[in-house]
Amino acid sequence: MTTRDEMNSPVDQVNEPILRCQDITKSFLGVNAVNGATFDVPKGKITALIGPNGAGKTTVVNIISGAMKCDSGTVHMGSTDVTNWERYKIARLGLMRTFQLSRELGGLTVLENLLVAPKVQAGESLFNIFFRPRLLKREERQNIERATEILRTYGLYELRDSLARELSGGQKKLLEISRGVMASPSLFLLDEPMAGVNPALIERIGGYILDMKRQGMTVLMIEHNLNVVEKICDNVIVLAEGRTLATGRLSELRANPEVVQAYLGEIINAGPHN
Amino acid sequence: MAQFWLAFGFGLVTASVLAIAAVGLSLQFGITNYINFAYGDFMALGAYFTYALNSEFLHLNVWIALVGGSLCMGLLAVLFNHFLLGPFARRFNKTFYVLIVTFGLSLIILNAIYSIWGANVRAYNMKIEQVLHIGPFLLTRNQLIVMAISVVMMLLVHLMLKTTRLGKSMRAMSDNTTLAMTSGIDTRRITTITWFLSGTLAGLAGSVLGITEGNVTPAPGELFLFVIFAAVIVGGVGSIYGAMAGAVLIGLATEISAAFFNASYKLDVAFVILILTLLFRPNGLFARPGRA
Amino acid sequence: MPAFWYYVFTLIFFLFDYFILAMGLNIQYGETGILNFAYIGFVAIGSYVTGAVSLPSSAGTGQQYILGLSLPFPINLIIGGLAASALALFVALITLRRLRTDYLAMVLISLSLVLWDLINNYVRLFNGADGLYNVPEPMASVFKLTTNSFVPFFAGVTAAVALILWFLMSRITRSPLGRTFRAIRDDADVAAALGKGVFRYQLTSMLIGAFYAGIGGGLIIQFGGSFNTSAWLPGETFVIFAVIIVGGVGNNLGLLVGALLVETLLIHLPAFLPDIPGHPELIQYIDAMLIGILLMVMLWFRPQGMIPERVRRSPLLSTFSKSDGQQVVVPTSPSSVMTATDSAALRNVDEKDES
Repeated sequence: MTTRDEMNSPVDQVNEPILRCQDITKSFLGVNAVNGATFDVPKGKITALIGPNGAGKTTVVNIISGAMKCDSGTVHMGSTDVTNWERYKIARLGLMRTFQLSRELGGLTVLENLLVAPKVQAGESLFNIFFRPRLLKREERQNIERATEILRTYGLYELRDSLARELSGGQKKLLEISRGVMASPSLFLLDEPMAGVNPALIERIGGYILDMKRQGMTVLMIEHNLNVVEKICDNVIVLAEGRTLATGRLSELRANPEVVQAYLGEIINAGPHN
Repeated sequence: MAQFWLAFGFGLVTASVLAIAAVGLSLQFGITNYINFAYGDFMALGAYFTYALNSEFLHLNVWIALVGGSLCMGLLAVLFNHFLLGPFARRFNKTFYVLIVTFGLSLIILNAIYSIWGANVRAYNMKIEQVLHIGPFLLTRNQLIVMAISVVMMLLVHLMLKTTRLGKSMRAMSDNTTLAMTSGIDTRRITTITWFLSGTLAGLAGSVLGITEGNVTPAPGELFLFVIFAAVIVGGVGSIYGAMAGAVLIGLATEISAAFFNASYKLDVAFVILILTLLFRPNGLFARPGRA
Repeated sequence: MPAFWYYVFTLIFFLFDYFILAMGLNIQYGETGILNFAYIGFVAIGSYVTGAVSLPSSAGTGQQYILGLSLPFPINLIIGGLAASALALFVALITLRRLRTDYLAMVLISLSLVLWDLINNYVRLFNGADGLYNVPEPMASVFKLTTNSFVPFFAGVTAAVALILWFLMSRITRSPLGRTFRAIRDDADVAAALGKGVFRYQLTSMLIGAFYAGIGGGLIIQFGGSFNTSAWLPGETFVIFAVIIVGGVGNNLGLLVGALLVETLLIHLPAFLPDIPGHPELIQYIDAMLIGILLMVMLWFRPQGMIPERVRRSPLLSTFSKSDGQQVVVPTSPSSVMTATDSAALRNVDEKDES
């Protein structure tokens, strides 16, 4: 915790945070999974959330996205306090997430998976379906156009009419990320987007994440692969035992003995390709 | 006040039957994690097995026939699990499918009972009992025996869960099946045993219901099932002790309300309690966090 | 009219009526994933209310019921549908938000039993176990129908109502609303993470489905002229599940096929078979068991049903992409620090991830 303030300050001056977590705690049956996690996610940057197994990374993402309720602490998106809001309300505020094991909508086609994503659609109201068909058609046309563009970018265009449950693991991963992009989030939480994926696809997903940043999205990603973190992330948050250990650039953290001891050491010493 | 205590006595009898049934349902739910909608029909079938042993074939004393009938139902439950429910539960990861299959099984058993025994009410062959005055209660000897059976069964289930290896494995499985499997528990075997216990308890509950009511009908499959659900939900789904407590609560509440209002609204009282529980304590009154 | 044709039109009536009922349950279960085991309760309420608003005031009829407004067709029917929706609203508000699938199914089946119990016991409100009878035959006086000509006439009316409801339903299932329903069915968590207020959509689905249930029930009471409480036990819900699972979950045409196979062929046709001597109702019992077995066999060997859910390919798509299905140049993230090799990488993905 000693280094936290110094490290955060240069970032804070440039960017106001889009997400601010303060003293989040969460315990399961008496075991503290998250124990006072405090960090900011700067706007328009790619931030990595790293830490050893069991550090509470996924729990933090679950709490931020509303999939779990925290025991104490606050989560702010911009200036809005979203602590323990319902998931869909947080999503409507512009937060999207992916899951560690990709969760596709199996009975829908790839294209439909993307078409579900826009948060508010006129076509989801019974009144509009029966009385404003023109509006529906126009909206649907725009959504399909955009979805098509995204599917092309993600190399899923040819699979657009396949059922999502028939895709391979890597394709499902891409589908999940592209579905999130379709919703044009302001903050995109990626839970281990590179896990269980071959090196060529890691490269591609890394490229997509950089693209998201170029388009003005903020990304917070849980990642184990420090090479990836080094190449694409602007900022790193280290969690250990449910606490924020340090934040800053990876190069700075490598020099921090506390961080090295808790986590980085073993990986750095193990070689560059963990 | 005398009326209250009379009703309280009847409530204890109903609670005894209900507790046996609710514990059987909860045991199986805890292990397999889906509700058996044919459970009421298991009860009815058990009652008819007892009836067959008591009045049709061996002409056994009703208390002996009851043991045989319950065990038959237990074996049948194992077969249902092995050839029908188990395969469906393993094949489809959504609970939908297996729930619909239990619902279908319920229809099949009910109509099988109608085909074999007809729609007429049957009665066990047993002595007409004198009503005994015990304190403020008015109960028959049979009702007292049923209460004793229930208490003994609850104690046995408690001892099994707390002291035997089997019980510990069952508790581990109901907490976390995957973890139990990785720690070397033979989950298939435990599941089979659980279905046997659940079916036996269902058969027992159906039989003692037939004894206390004085007649045997296929009705448990339709109406009594819901009262069991009320007891189980009020107690906290999957919690054995919750099921016992829920059974006592629902049993007393229905009988006492029947004494003061109209007996035909018994079911509605149970339903109101069920709804109130869902509104204010959706995990049940006695559920510990993390269970259910 | 010869008895044969009378039977045929009775079968046609039940075919289309169960088609309507199946559409209602299908939007709840097949599209949205709500396991509504109380469905028959909504049918019963629709039936009762339709009957009660069609009958004249209860004084002097020897029956006890509320309303008694002598309303004509189809207003009575629509009121019946709305009454079922009102019940669905009440039920959904209490249960949907807080319960997972199996709890919900338990509570709903309990509700179904309690409704049945209430209808049987509340003599003042529902005329008790006698049900309602002497419900007027709709439009009989307008078209000067006799008892004989009423059956084919009303079978035709029911078919027309079913077709209208089919048209409306397909508008819903093809819309973005239908898509969101299916997203919730496939994974409610993901739908919520995409900003969908799951409860609101499930509620909408419940209301639409209950409306169809109420209409289907209303048609039954007008066809038969009476309301018999024994027809509303929870097992009846299972028959409608059998219709949609045999026919094809999520496919409206499949539902019609399911209604034909299950309702017409398995339930109503055997009613015309001669009884087995000495066992008056045995055929009916065996029939019910057959339906249960048929459903399990279908679920195991063909869970998608006779006519599976359509994969919804978008025809609109071709208007945007002329190179439809051709080799597409994938403009993969040029800004990458890393080199992006696209389609080759994608092929690699498939091979490696499966292992």
